[in-house]
Amino acid sequence: MTRYIIRRLLWGVALLFIVSALTFVLFDLLPSGDPAKLRAGRTATPQAIAHIRHELGLDKPVYTQFFDYMKGVVLHFDLGYSYYSHAPVKSLIAERLPATVSLAVGAIVIWLLVGLSVGIVSAVRQRTLIDRTAMGTALVFISAPEYWLGLLALFLFASDIGKLAVFPGAGSYVAFSSEPVKWFTALILPWLVLAASFAAVYARLLRGSLVEVLGEDYIRTARAKGLPERRVVMRHGVRSAITPIVTVLGLDIGTLLGGALLIEVVFNIPGVGRLNYDAITHADFPIVQGTVLLAALFIVVANLLVDISYAFLDPRVRFK
Amino acid sequence: MFNHHGRRAAPSLALVSAGLLALALAACGSSEDSSTSTIPLKAGESPLGQQLTGKHRGGTLTVYDHEDFEHFDPGEAYGGQDYTVLYAIERPLYSYPPNTANKLVPDVAAAAPVISDGGKTVTVAIKPHIYFSPPVNREVNSGDVAYAIERGANPNVSNPYFHSYFNDIVGAEKANGGAIAGIETPSRYAIVFHLTKPTAGLLYGALSLPLSAPVPPEFAKPLDAHSPTTYGTEYLVATGPYMLKANAQGKFLGIGYQPGKSVTLVRNPTWNPHTDYRPAYLDQININIGGEPTVIGQQVLKGQDVVQNDSPAQSIVKEAYERYPQQITFTPGSGDYYASLNNARGPFTNLDLRKAVWAALDREAIAKVRGGPLVAQPMTHFLYPGVAGYEQAGGDAGPKVDYNEHPEGDMAIAAKYMKLAGYPSGKYTGGKTLQVVGSTGEPQEGMAQIVNQTLQNLGFKTHLSLVDQSVMYDKYCTVPAQEIDVCPNGGWVRDFADPQTVLYVPFYGPAIEAQGNSNWSQVNDPKINAAMQKAELVVGEPARAEAWAKIDEMLVEQAVAAPEVYVNQASIEGSGVAGVNQLWNSGAWDYDFTSLK
Repeated sequence: MTRYIIRRLLWGVALLFIVSALTFVLFDLLPSGDPAKLRAGRTATPQAIAHIRHELGLDKPVYTQFFDYMKGVVLHFDLGYSYYSHAPVKSLIAERLPATVSLAVGAIVIWLLVGLSVGIVSAVRQRTLIDRTAMGTALVFISAPEYWLGLLALFLFASDIGKLAVFPGAGSYVAFSSEPVKWFTALILPWLVLAASFAAVYARLLRGSLVEVLGEDYIRTARAKGLPERRVVMRHGVRSAITPIVTVLGLDIGTLLGGALLIEVVFNIPGVGRLNYDAITHADFPIVQGTVLLAALFIVVANLLVDISYAFLDPRVRFK
Repeated sequence: MFNHHGRRAAPSLALVSAGLLALALAACGSSEDSSTSTIPLKAGESPLGQQLTGKHRGGTLTVYDHEDFEHFDPGEAYGGQDYTVLYAIERPLYSYPPNTANKLVPDVAAAAPVISDGGKTVTVAIKPHIYFSPPVNREVNSGDVAYAIERGANPNVSNPYFHSYFNDIVGAEKANGGAIAGIETPSRYAIVFHLTKPTAGLLYGALSLPLSAPVPPEFAKPLDAHSPTTYGTEYLVATGPYMLKANAQGKFLGIGYQPGKSVTLVRNPTWNPHTDYRPAYLDQININIGGEPTVIGQQVLKGQDVVQNDSPAQSIVKEAYERYPQQITFTPGSGDYYASLNNARGPFTNLDLRKAVWAALDREAIAKVRGGPLVAQPMTHFLYPGVAGYEQAGGDAGPKVDYNEHPEGDMAIAAKYMKLAGYPSGKYTGGKTLQVVGSTGEPQEGMAQIVNQTLQNLGFKTHLSLVDQSVMYDKYCTVPAQEIDVCPNGGWVRDFADPQTVLYVPFYGPAIEAQGNSNWSQVNDPKINAAMQKAELVVGEPARAEAWAKIDEMLVEQAVAAPEVYVNQASIEGSGVAGVNQLWNSGAWDYDFTSLK
């Protein structure tokens, strides 16, 4: 097990290196705004632009820039400075991360609770009205674009612009440390909207998987032994059917912690996703690089945790 | 303005119905300022009629702005959005009250400048008892103004307009941040500028830019030694009624400014109201950065003590005009858009072909794409409403030349010029495929499509590339070596009221640069260049207006570009706000004059 984890961690480091290199190359190859010109302004003299390019290190070959960057990351955990605001990327990400984590964790809790519950009920009550209604509703939430759903939720339920003033609206997010109650109420709508499509996907996934498992011989045997149905479903059925859900969950957690861009924009939550989006529009490469690296790191770690969790969920799994 | 639409261009504006246009036209009133268009700022008000007397003193205004700010350093800031904060916290030598786009008044200066030596010396007296905010806390003197301007040439500051407006100061051309020989401070309250050419008129206007706002050298010099400077990015002191919330050392980054999140302006405790014409009614201004434009718009229209700092979304403009007419303003004279035609190489070296494109282009369709007549009017010449010389150069109707007569486009007149250009069929048969580069995103994309279709209607084969706006600027339209034939999304906003700031850089031949070129059409006409060199030296507003109006006529005669639209800027406010627009800054809210009801 330990050797497996070490091997996976080493692969993770290699993956992060490759992601960093690819981001560098893509930013260099694809047509994007010139950071030096953006920084200098439209009518800046060529000398001023050249000075800024030199100061930002953009006049060096791309491999030298990459080497300098990786040296900073590895030796000092230095992600550089924003071309746009001149603030350290590390501190900008650190400022934004709590909002993204708050958003992601709350939504994950909701979608797991709702998605798994609905999936189990639908599987157990397959082809009933409950099943059809639940799966039909799930399809609606899967089909609804997150951005549109967010706007709809605000126009219906936000206290400032909604028809029914129930929840705080866009821009009401505050840090947990400053006002915990306001933090909670401000995140209710974003959590629900973000969780809606995920819950729907998870419900359908688990239903499909559980229906299949419930048809297996060992389930019939468990029932024949006279085990209570609840125990059959939860202990023998769900435990086996949940493996594909955990795999997807690992990817989703990793992706979300890298920033839930659309929800952050609609609800004006200052998270990592919005930081990345703004950086792309300003050709602010150090921030793009930092946020991509962060997202990749989360995905690597989340997947590792998922793989480890297989051993606990399914006794047949052993790591070599 | 010597930048392309410094206040972030409206993302998209409403297609307002003809009925609304009728309402707007019915509400038109006479204007005191002959060069300002007559579309009302608010229902029943002329652009100059807005109330400058506040309703109440005190309170906190919430501001939404879906984009972040670029610079708070008066030496670096260069754009309408940044100016909304800059002119609340800093005071240049001269400034414009919000209800004028043309009349400068003394700000840190005590009076209008004394121009002597045939326009080659400018002497400015400075008011006493103006103070820097904490932690500097001392009285402003002439040395602070001198340092503020000198640091503009410091490569670590690299002010974007220093060499456009301050280069004629003796020694400025080779300045790099140190003392400039042509700037003298004979006393604590006087500063003298010695010029190499008699361009005092232009310098006077440029002294309204943020670069002339005093900067204390003992505080800023160590910060300016960093590359780039940390004055304005981490630390700052104010002279205006407000300051960025900061700690005892003057550091505001992470306190009064959280990048991408918020800006907090609080009262400057050392501001001396007896030296200032600004009333500064508000106690605090909280700016929330980010958000979705339609949500922000709704929050403003349904909110109380709130305004939107940047351009409202298209759907919001329409809704505001129909349902909240007292909460929306339209400010004319907010810049222009034109399609640049390559005058240096390719088919458009032919004057008649350029005239044909001008004649054929449907400017009314472009105005509709930009949001309709409340926010865009067909452009008829290169000086735009609100700029001195606009009326002299033809006003709204523009010069009386046949290719300008029909803003809806006239293919018959276009065919006449095609024939004069040597194409008897009235269609281009030269075989050259035109490279057309426009910007993605509406309304720019729609504008580019209209121009492209016009070119095809004239028989041109075209290759239209739509790229991100920054790519369009940086890699194509500002790089002459790319040999782009047509850039349909060019535009201009003046830096200050002087007409030179509208015509000089975009159309002066010697201003063409290999990179970062703002003369997109690469106009290099010896007669026009000579006229500009002469007009630059003219002193006095009426004479300058007359001189630059004549240059405008020459540009129209040469059809150096195909005009598209003049822009009116929409701004929205909450029901509890007595907002005041800055006419000189594309209608942005003026936080020194805005109050709560």
